Amino acid sequence: MQSPDLSQNYFELFGLKPVFAIDPVRLKTAQQRLQASFHPDRHVNDSDRDRRLSVQVTSWINQAFDTLQDPVKRSKYLLEISGAEIPDDSTTTSDVDFLMEQIELREAVEACRDAPDGLEQCHRIEDKLTQRAAELANEFVACFAEEDLPGSVTISRKMQFIQRIQQQLDELQFELEGR
Amino acid sequence: MALLQISEPGESTAPHQHRFAVGIDLGTTNSLVATQRSGEAVCLADEQGRKLLPSVVHFGESGTLVGSEAIALQASDPLNTVASIKRLMGRASEDLTRLGNTLPYDIVTPEGSNVPRIHTRSGDFSAVEVSAEILKVLAHRASLSLGGELDGVVITVPAYFDDAQRQATRDAATLAGLKLYRLLNEPTAAAVAYGLDQNNDGTVAVYDLGGGTFDISILRLNKGVFEVLATGGDSSLGGDDMDHAIGEWIITAAGFVDVDAGLARRILIEARKAKEALTLAESVDLLIEDEQHNWTGTLSREAFDELVRSLVTRTLTACRRAMRDAGVKSSEIDEIIMVGGSTRVPLVQSMVGELFARRPMCDLDPDQVVALGAAIQADVLAGNKPDSDMLLLDVLPLSLGIETMGGLSEKIISRNTAIPVARAQEFTTFKDGQTAMSIHVVQGEREVVSDCRSLARFELRGFPPMTAGAARIRVTYQVDADGLMSVTAEEITSGVAAEIVVKPSYGLTDVEIESMLRASMEHAREDIELRMLKEQQVEASRVIEAIDAALAVDGELLLNPQERAQIAEHRDALAAAGNAASAGELKRLIRAVEEASEFYVERRMNYSVQQVLTGKQIDEVDV
Repeated sequence: MQSPDLSQNYFELFGLKPVFAIDPVRLKTAQQRLQASFHPDRHVNDSDRDRRLSVQVTSWINQAFDTLQDPVKRSKYLLEISGAEIPDDSTTTSDVDFLMEQIELREAVEACRDAPDGLEQCHRIEDKLTQRAAELANEFVACFAEEDLPGSVTISRKMQFIQRIQQQLDELQFELEGR
Repeated sequence: MALLQISEPGESTAPHQHRFAVGIDLGTTNSLVATQRSGEAVCLADEQGRKLLPSVVHFGESGTLVGSEAIALQASDPLNTVASIKRLMGRASEDLTRLGNTLPYDIVTPEGSNVPRIHTRSGDFSAVEVSAEILKVLAHRASLSLGGELDGVVITVPAYFDDAQRQATRDAATLAGLKLYRLLNEPTAAAVAYGLDQNNDGTVAVYDLGGGTFDISILRLNKGVFEVLATGGDSSLGGDDMDHAIGEWIITAAGFVDVDAGLARRILIEARKAKEALTLAESVDLLIEDEQHNWTGTLSREAFDELVRSLVTRTLTACRRAMRDAGVKSSEIDEIIMVGGSTRVPLVQSMVGELFARRPMCDLDPDQVVALGAAIQADVLAGNKPDSDMLLLDVLPLSLGIETMGGLSEKIISRNTAIPVARAQEFTTFKDGQTAMSIHVVQGEREVVSDCRSLARFELRGFPPMTAGAARIRVTYQVDADGLMSVTAEEITSGVAAEIVVKPSYGLTDVEIESMLRASMEHAREDIELRMLKEQQVEASRVIEAIDAALAVDGELLLNPQERAQIAEHRDALAAAGNAASAGELKRLIRAVEEASEFYVERRMNYSVQQVLTGKQIDEVDV
C-alpha cells in the first residue's frame, strides 16, 4: 500500500507559516500533538493496515520535524518548496572572501588539537561560530524576504558550512575533554 | 480507533473488556515479569514467593529446568546448563570466538546457517530458543497469577541492542507463543517507572549497568510524554565482565593452570559472590575448593576497584557522548536514575556521581524498575487505560548504512534519529536489461563496512528490463517503533514493486523460525492452522469494525453514494463469510475490503491530520 499522499508541505503539517524564523516551541507542540494521535502505540489493537499506516505517517511526521528543527535543513527545504534550484554539495563557491574564511576557520580548529590551552581555544571559536550562524540566519531572512532565491541559496550553503565546522569542533572538544 | 481515526487523549473510546498484559524484563542474569494491578505496577512472584527468575536454563535427561533449579546444576553439569544467553542474542559464530574463553559450552554452527547453537544432551539450541524457554516460564507464572490467558506482552531490550539482537528477541517471543505489543528500551522503561512514580517533569539520565549490557539514555519528561533525546552504550559490557576480571585475578593469584569448564564455573560463581559482598564489606575472603584444588585468598574493596576501574571509565565515555548527542550539559540533568544490579558497586556510584556532579537516585529497586515500567506500558498498549496520555518516543541507537564501492558505509539514517523513521534512496541500473540488484545493510558508526555490524543482504528482483541508467529504483528503509528495520523497493517509472529476498547476516530466517515453532508444538500442523484461522478471524472483525466506525463518522461527508455502496459491498461479503470461511478465504476477502477502501483511507488521513491542528490551534496558526 502506498503511503498516504498528504498533500501538505511540512510547514502546513505543523500549522506554521512557510518562513525561516519559526517558533521552535510551537513546532515541538504541534509535533507531539500529531504523534499523540498517530504513533503506533496508539494503534496496537487496530487492523494490520492501520498499524502499517501509523508507522508510515509517524515516520513522515518525524521526517518533517527533523527537517524544520534544523536551521540548515529548514532553509534548504524552504528554498525547495519555493522553486529555487539547489546545486548539489559538490558545487564549489567562487566567493573568495568566504573561501578565505573557510580556510581560516578550519586551520583554527585544527590548531586547537595540539595547543596546551586547546579547550579554551575551542570555546572561543565556538562563540565566534554561534555569532556567525546568527548573522547568516538574519541575512537569509532578509534575502528570502526580497525573493532573491539565488542569493538565498548562497547564504544557505554558507550556513551549512558553518554548521559542519561546528560539528567538527564539537567532535574535537569531546576528544579533548576525554584526555 | 478505526482507520487511524483521531481521538484526543482523555476522550474515551468504546469500553472493552480488560486485557491481561504484562511487562517482561528478559535480563542477562535475572528475568522478571510484572503487571499493573489496581493502579500499581507489581512484580509477580512464583509459588515460592521469588520474583527474580535467574536467566539460566538446564537441559536435563528428564526435561528442561529454568531458574534457581537450573543454577543448582551449573557447577555439576556445566555443558548442559546455559547462563547469560542474552549475550548471544543476534550474535554470529565469529562473535563467539571473540567471547571464547568466557563461554564454557559446546558451540556448533549448522551448515548453511550463521546462527550458532549450543550443543546439549537434548539437542542443539539457538539463543532464541533458550530465551523462549525463559519467556515461557514467566508467561506461565503470569497466567497463573492473573487467572487468565495473556493478551500481550512488552519485552524490554537494552537501548543499545542492534537490529539483529532486537529481531532475535522478537523471534523468542514468537517461539514462546506470545503476542508482542512492543520491544521497549530498558532505560525508557526505567524512566516510565520513575517518572510516573515521582510525577516529575525535567531531563533525566538513565544509567543502566546490567549483567551483560550497558546503556545510557538521556530523556525529557513532559506531561506523560517520555522523549528519548539520545542513547548510547555497549551491548557487551556489564557485571559479568566484573566477575571475569575477578576470576582472572583469582586464576593468577592461585596459580591455576588448565582451567576446565567446571573449575571456570566455580571460579566465576565465587567471583560473583565476592563482588556482591564488596558492596557493603571492605574486604572479602575467597575459597576455591574441589578434589584437586584448595585455595583461599582475600580481595579488598580497593583492589576490586582497581580491577574494574577501566570498565567503569568506558561507561563514562559513553555517558559523555550521549549528553553531547542530546545537546545537554551535565548541569542540565535534573536526575540520574540507576538501573541494573551492577549499579550497586560503590565505585560505579561514586564515579557516576562525580561525572554528573550529583548523587544518583537509587530509591527504586534497580532490579525491578525496568519490569515495572514495561508493565505500565503493556497496560496502556492493551487499551486498559483509554484515558492515559502516556507516550514513549524513542530513537535509533546505532546508525544504519549501506555498503558502497570500496567497502565503505554510507549512512542512511544516523543514530539518535527519532523512530519510527523512513528514508528513501534512488538507484539506477548500470547494465542494459538489469532486473535485479543487491543491497548490503550495516549498522554502526564506523566508516568501513567491516567495522560495522552486517544486518542483512537484500536482493531486489523483478524490475522491468530497461537500458542502463533508465531505471529509477527507489529503495525505502523503514525503522518501526521497535527499532526494527525493513526494506521495500520499487521501480518508479513503471511502478513495479521489487520482490525482496532477505538474507539476515546473523539472524534466523523465517523458515527456520517456522520450523522451530512446528517442532515446539505437539500436533504442530493442526495447531498452526488453527492459530492462523483464529488470527484471520480476529483481523476480519477488526477490519469490519474499523470500516463501520469510519463510515458512521464521516462516510456521508467524504464519500458519494456510489463510493459508499462499493465499499459496503466488499464489507458485507467479508461479514457474510463469517467464521465458516477458511484462513485463506478470509485473507482474500480482507484484502478486497482494503483495496476497495484505499482511496477512502487516504481521504480520511488528510482530513484527520488537518483536524488535529485546525480547530485546536486556529489562534496559533493565524498569528
